[in-house]
Amino acid sequence: MIFTSIVFALFFLIVAILYYSLPCKHRWILLLVSSIFFYMYSIPAYILVASFIILITFYAAIKIEKAKVSEKAMQFYIAAITANVGILVFCKYSNFFSSSVFDSINFARQKLFHNTEIWNNTLLIKVVAPLGISYITFQAIGYLIEIKRGNHYAEKNLGHFSTFLLFFPKIIAGPVERAHHFLPQLQQIKKFDFDKIIIGLQQILWGLFKKLVIADRLSIYVSAVLGNAENHSAISLIAAVIFYVFQMYADFSGYTDMALGFAKILGFDLMQNFNRPLLSKSVTEFWRKWHISLSTWFADYFYTPLAIAKRDWGNWSIVYAFFTTFIVLGFWHGANWTFLIFGTLQGLILTIEFFTRKIRKNIRKKVPMFLNNMAGITFTIGYFALSLIFFRANSVSDALIIIKKIFTSRESGIYIENPSIMLFCIFGILFLSIVECKKEYFNHLFTFSNNKYWLIRNGYYCLLLMIILIAGVFDGGEFIYFQF
Amino acid sequence: MIEVYKKLSIKKGYQYLLLKIAAFLLLAFITDFISGSILRSFYFKQTSGWEYRTKYSIDGTRADVLIFGASRAQQQYNPLYFEERLHQSCYNVGRDGEPFFYYYAVLKAVLKRYTPKIIILDIENGVFKESQDSYDRMSILLPFYKSHPEMRSIIELRSPFEKLKLQSQIYPFNSMLFKIAIGNTEMNKKRNQDIKGYVELRRVLDEPIRTVDFLKNKYAIDSNKVNFYRSFIKDCKQANVKLYIVCSPYFIHAVGTDISMTIAKEIAGENNIDFVDFAKDEIFLNNSKLFDDTVHINVAGSKIFSNKLIDTMILKNKIF
Repeated sequence: MIFTSIVFALFFLIVAILYYSLPCKHRWILLLVSSIFFYMYSIPAYILVASFIILITFYAAIKIEKAKVSEKAMQFYIAAITANVGILVFCKYSNFFSSSVFDSINFARQKLFHNTEIWNNTLLIKVVAPLGISYITFQAIGYLIEIKRGNHYAEKNLGHFSTFLLFFPKIIAGPVERAHHFLPQLQQIKKFDFDKIIIGLQQILWGLFKKLVIADRLSIYVSAVLGNAENHSAISLIAAVIFYVFQMYADFSGYTDMALGFAKILGFDLMQNFNRPLLSKSVTEFWRKWHISLSTWFADYFYTPLAIAKRDWGNWSIVYAFFTTFIVLGFWHGANWTFLIFGTLQGLILTIEFFTRKIRKNIRKKVPMFLNNMAGITFTIGYFALSLIFFRANSVSDALIIIKKIFTSRESGIYIENPSIMLFCIFGILFLSIVECKKEYFNHLFTFSNNKYWLIRNGYYCLLLMIILIAGVFDGGEFIYFQF
Repeated sequence: MIEVYKKLSIKKGYQYLLLKIAAFLLLAFITDFISGSILRSFYFKQTSGWEYRTKYSIDGTRADVLIFGASRAQQQYNPLYFEERLHQSCYNVGRDGEPFFYYYAVLKAVLKRYTPKIIILDIENGVFKESQDSYDRMSILLPFYKSHPEMRSIIELRSPFEKLKLQSQIYPFNSMLFKIAIGNTEMNKKRNQDIKGYVELRRVLDEPIRTVDFLKNKYAIDSNKVNFYRSFIKDCKQANVKLYIVCSPYFIHAVGTDISMTIAKEIAGENNIDFVDFAKDEIFLNNSKLFDDTVHINVAGSKIFSNKLIDTMILKNKIF
């Protein structure tokens, strides 16, 4: 059941009506039941894995809090973290690890003993990672760490805790919510708030626009070119790679806007996940604005402890923490060497930016601000686009073929099978860019979306709706981040 | 102060929300109606391009001989040869990439207007293959939903909520804005040269023949497509239209027969319909120069193929 489907719209409408019909103190029950229904809608068995994570984390947190001896708390803590990480690794990475071991053995046998007989991976298991497993485990792990650090109380209501991990607007692809931000909201009395509902509806419409009009439209061109890279010119590949940056952003931020909007209608404020990252002037700034809930999770629970642990190394502790964090973050996206390279590329550029920050600052002083901004934004998008080649490719060799063609192909011309698709793509990117630039640089000027006049404000949203109807792709499929 | 707050609370309650939503929906309805009507008007005013061809196939043509199918119909059957030798008017209503639903919808619209004398239906390997894409591709028929009740049951197969979506006046023209704009100019006339619906392919294939093992190539069959195929035959028979089902040439060495093709032949046989199979015709299998790619013959191949088919039709029935 994806957010863009009519089935989900009906589901949400029923939930919202029932939600505001129930007394405040019982509303969480409806949220839990509807979240379980939502989660079980595609494959019911998934709920078993989620339930296991919930129970382990819930009871371990209480035990950690109650333990009077710190060693005992540590035991519960390690056991619960191991269980969460274990489930994630088993569901998502076990086949990758076993295949890598067998590939290495076969390679070694071939090189050292000239034995061409290939050993097949007999440890392959038929396991489909449950939807949103990475998000559920990360939220559970974050919760355990906060309890261990003494920053948060252990939730005593299993229903509330389950609702925190399973809340349907965020269960599939985030935001990676924090317990201290979400759990108190469950206990608040949520009165019917007209303004919040309107904001929620506006967010949903904008998210829908980004997904259907921009992301799914760009996806047609991107798939046609990158899916068949060998037969396309360098210019077509560059266009497709740049389009993929916008597709990725529109797809993921569109999903997040909708998730935030649905939650807001139910009276919940979820974490912001994007802050116009494509207008960042450096990759470092980009990662502060892209997938914020995940990057701050890594910053709080991974990067900072690593950097502190190795603080004796001076600047190298930062480098070490950058690389380790981004390699893990890359690997978090999926069990493939391509994601490891994606993460490594991020670590590499952040290290370079870290060591050149003073030089860049001096240069910035001598260059006009506009040029400086343009150069920064172009470099950031360009570098991110390059790293996304690995992110999207099925294998490292596929990614290298694209990169090689981009830099060596002499074929001219750009692939435009259907001019209409290209025109819609360009329109979508321009519309998004104008809206984002306006919000970033001219937000104090005239506004359509928050105009005080009803007709102008609603005319703008009406226009968005009409563009969705005329330019949206209604059979485009799932969100990119559902697979993670 | 308390009074003001109370009034504000009531003002911004459920009823206020419903009122605001109703006002927005009214504005959206008006905008949708006006925009949709403008698009509809320009859609049906087109004078060139693929959308124009679809419109002409459904609402315009009164040709005696009609050719149905996907790209292998559109790009292989030249109506000029049929007109010259059969002394009948001919139009190629085939459309690249369209599945069986499209052919049947067009047939229903045509038979509602008039009765052609002959229909040639090109069938290709995999024609009954189950695929969501086949349903999605029916979007080109959406502009005709309102004016062609006979097509509605087919179009509604796209999704369970298609009927609901089609309440919008803009939705039928989804993704067509630029096509409609271009179709109202002279651009397409210069770009796409079609000859009574036929589109020439001019490349020459230069590669050795490859083998395709259909015995290994199993796939799920879409019962809707098979049922529409049966209905296509039935409707032609009822209207007394002479129907030829044709499998045009391939440049592949086939091992076994494709499942869809086997089903198509069986059903044609059950209904005593002529099934003309050129898939293993030696003239084509031995000459890659007659092909544009392995599944489409080029303009030279089209001349030979169209004439061979006409010969077969004349020989089989001695009707001309």
